[in-house]
Amino acid sequence: MVSIKASYTKMQEFLGKELSLDELENLLSFAKTEIDEYVREEDMLVLDIKTSNRPDLWCAEGMIREIKGILEMEKGIPSYEVKESGFSVKVDSALASTRPYIACAIAKKINLDDFYIKQLMQHSEKIDNSYGRKRKRSSIGMYNLSMIQSPVLYEIAEKSHKFIPLGYEKEMPLDKIIDEHEKGLEFGQIVKDYGIYPILLSADGLTLSLPPVINSNDVGRITEDTTECLIEVTGTNFETVNVVLNILCQTMADHGADIYSVEIEYPPEIHKELVITPLLDLESITVDLEIIKKYLDVEITTKDAVELMQKRRFECEELENNKIKVMIPPYRKDILHWVDIAEEIAIALDYNKIGPTKWRVLTTGGLLPETESENLVREILVGAYGIELVTNILTDPDNLTVNVNLDKQELVKLKNPVSQTYSTLRNQIYPNLINVISKNTHEPYPQIIFEVGEVVKMNKNNVWTQTNAAFCIADADASFEDTHKRVHQLMKLLNTNYTIESLEHPSFTKGRCGKIIVNGKKCGIIGEIHPSVLEKNQIWVSVVCFELELPYIPSLECKIKHTF
Amino acid sequence: MSNLEKKISLPSEAIEIYKEVCLKKKISVKELEKTMKIDRGKLEYFLGFLISNELVERITIVKKIPILTEAGQFAALNQLIERRIVDLLREKKPTDFDSLSEIINGDKREMNAGVGFLKKQGILKIDEGKISLIDPKASVSNDLQRILEDLSSGKKIDIKNYEKTLIQRNLISLEERKESFIEMKISYGDISENIVVSSEISRLSPEMIRNGSWRKVKLRKYNLDVSPPDFYTGRKQPYARFLDEVKQKLIAYGFQEMRGPIVELEYWNFDALFQAQDHPAREWSDVYRISNPSKGKLPKEDHVKFVQQAHENGYDTGSKGWRYKWDPMKSARLVLRAQGTSVSARTLVNLPIPSKYFSISRCFRPDTTDATHLSEFNQAEGIVCDPSITFRDLLGILETFAIEISEAPNYTFKPDYYPFTEPSVELSVKDPKIGHIEYGGAGIFRPEVTRPFGIDAPVIAWGLGVDRLFMVKYGITDIRELYSHKLDWLRSTRMS
Repeated sequence: MVSIKASYTKMQEFLGKELSLDELENLLSFAKTEIDEYVREEDMLVLDIKTSNRPDLWCAEGMIREIKGILEMEKGIPSYEVKESGFSVKVDSALASTRPYIACAIAKKINLDDFYIKQLMQHSEKIDNSYGRKRKRSSIGMYNLSMIQSPVLYEIAEKSHKFIPLGYEKEMPLDKIIDEHEKGLEFGQIVKDYGIYPILLSADGLTLSLPPVINSNDVGRITEDTTECLIEVTGTNFETVNVVLNILCQTMADHGADIYSVEIEYPPEIHKELVITPLLDLESITVDLEIIKKYLDVEITTKDAVELMQKRRFECEELENNKIKVMIPPYRKDILHWVDIAEEIAIALDYNKIGPTKWRVLTTGGLLPETESENLVREILVGAYGIELVTNILTDPDNLTVNVNLDKQELVKLKNPVSQTYSTLRNQIYPNLINVISKNTHEPYPQIIFEVGEVVKMNKNNVWTQTNAAFCIADADASFEDTHKRVHQLMKLLNTNYTIESLEHPSFTKGRCGKIIVNGKKCGIIGEIHPSVLEKNQIWVSVVCFELELPYIPSLECKIKHTF
Repeated sequence: MSNLEKKISLPSEAIEIYKEVCLKKKISVKELEKTMKIDRGKLEYFLGFLISNELVERITIVKKIPILTEAGQFAALNQLIERRIVDLLREKKPTDFDSLSEIINGDKREMNAGVGFLKKQGILKIDEGKISLIDPKASVSNDLQRILEDLSSGKKIDIKNYEKTLIQRNLISLEERKESFIEMKISYGDISENIVVSSEISRLSPEMIRNGSWRKVKLRKYNLDVSPPDFYTGRKQPYARFLDEVKQKLIAYGFQEMRGPIVELEYWNFDALFQAQDHPAREWSDVYRISNPSKGKLPKEDHVKFVQQAHENGYDTGSKGWRYKWDPMKSARLVLRAQGTSVSARTLVNLPIPSKYFSISRCFRPDTTDATHLSEFNQAEGIVCDPSITFRDLLGILETFAIEISEAPNYTFKPDYYPFTEPSVELSVKDPKIGHIEYGGAGIFRPEVTRPFGIDAPVIAWGLGVDRLFMVKYGITDIRELYSHKLDWLRSTRMS
């Protein structure tokens, strides 16, 4: 999901139509967009765009383009004239294995005001971040054309090459920019991984930028006075840089700018032919309408389909045998398969007008045996006066170790936790229950609580998920017997013979703890919590507990779920 | 004083209690319970006689007691954030936000609040993203810290001047505690002549029933105005119980349950679902990775090869695919299940046709925890496969869910996006209070998802926001309550 800010008034102006918020919201849904917030005082809409593969929609112009189609104010692929600029870019073969591709265009008569500049920057930033994979796959640069001479050189530079990066006053060498500039810290790793420094230069040697990190402070600064600009997209993928450029050109053309093309001269190692960008040749896909009709369960003629596709800003050509050739607008690269065309038709028809069926797929439903087993245990434990808990599976590692007197154990930990509190997967449940008791010292006793839930365990060869059941009683009079009788009754109801063997365990008081054994295998633990654990957790009454690993109780059908 | 004239008949235990109250003039019920060595239920029973005869009176006093919140408890143990920052800055000299947050290992917002507080106090400054102390010897007053520590160790202290600050900073919350006192109205000495010990008995013993003496004795009347002592039944967790209900409804519709592991291969969480390996949802910020072990083993079956082809060239579907070199090492990385659809992906292997499956599974995404976000949540999702299935059936399934499970008749369908389905639909429900709520979504699996598993029939994938559903139904505004530690809520929240 991508979130952008737009002006409510400007959107209506741009559409040439007044819309209430409800009407706008409804129309935006056709562009997979929702109004998250409307700040009336600032005339600001916060819009959430749900699709991550339609960067053309991540600006007000893009959404209006879709809405105009739905309202049939405009149809088919939007077009604009592209004139030759006489500008060219020469790409150095030394970039072949790192960031070889570039697409460029020139926009003139751009009428920039402060608001529009911010909108343009917002759009570029969203594209760089999400579609451009944080500038790794593609990044956008815009420059003041009046300072640039053709041919522009896309080549590599020494680390000592100097220029003034945006927002600075003094020249800095490239390696210093990477290490010290704010954007260098953010995106410098991409360049570091290349082992070379890509650079864009004007024919006279003036530095335009260090892609994908930072523009230069003079030529790379767009202001309200800029009327002509060079737009450039560099990246690792030919198709990506071109579609991104096409999106920007379309958006600027929608705003009334004149677009001029730029010749890209690649060395043969990178691309065999001369490329003139923006590359506006239309790609197409041929689809069988019969298949789509069946897929959607709708009755439409070929003519309907053509019109519906035009509403979605595509062009079509009718072929024989109910087939149509669909031309794809050059700012879209998300059409991979005929199912994508089927969706466009369904959207144009309006999901709510297509309407649901009384669907009928007859099958027998049921819970998995393991869930039935867990439910059985839950039922018995509720009958044993237990209050059921559902606690977090992610926890603080201290909760599973020092809090219950245990040493570091083999715990499954997250590589990228947001906080220490949720950084480790629980491998047993009773530490969570002790934690709950410690937070409820003001509540009346006895406190009888349990949880039947998933835990994650590991060994050298695998990681797995299994279900445990833990039960705790906190009360001034709680005794070992209180848990023992419950385990005993539970096992009796589960028709399972068990024994308890004495065990020394740091969480429990010596001589008041045992392991529960079924068929010679340990399947749980029972005992009285050690006073030092109680003290640590500021629990001032006695606590007794047991925890069972349900997969090891043969009369239950709980299974271990291996990850691989 | 009409009481003085008539005889008052009291059980002997009540008289003893009456004497005790008169001795103390005023005594809390708790204390009375202790001194009389009698359980609460019986005590209330006897107090009933004394109150109804206007010998004593019950007074309830409400006190607000400060309770440490989770953050307050943390700060009591580990020092308040501003103190930790100052301590750090004294050692570390100027530093930036990122390294600061890394070192103090706290969540970012809390850190920002701490920095903001110190800035306001004129203790630190921020220069070009570098944070440093204005006066290296600066310190923060330890008043708040001491209060937190006192509260944590259970001391009774007066926090009046700091109460507002502590509440605003979410370090404490106030809890109302009711305490009952019994006060003497007429002294025992003034009325003792009018009191007679009642000969009624309170308990019917087994002997009385056996030997027939019950015929001769008079059983004392119960005072029905007295509220009984607290009693807590064992019960299922309200949210777990709600999920059980949802499962029951799905089973009634013929859905079979499926389950999967919490730690998941990226293969099942993403690759099998046609999410390109550089898809933003696979970034560090969107999915939890495991550090030990960081990788697992890919399945040995053929579908891995076909999934690879689906990504690289569309396999046999006619799709263009994502056109990049698919890397099995990325696919073998371990993550926490980020979407319930990974369970469906596993079910695609040898999928029976027709079939309907569901799963309610815990899913995990990196998020700072607050009233609307959790790093772990439940997803209900599943699949429906049949050669006859169409897009309109998909709408029909969502309609069924809206009416039967969400009990929300005012729904609309909206275009949606999932990387693995096409078309994709959102089920949006209009709630009179909250506005539009996304209750669920569905789509038809792309052929790039199903073909690698040899499936030709359309497969509908659907999901329901069960967390949201429960919250709306029970009027819960803080999502953290779903995993509540509050015993009071767990014991007493309504069931219907």
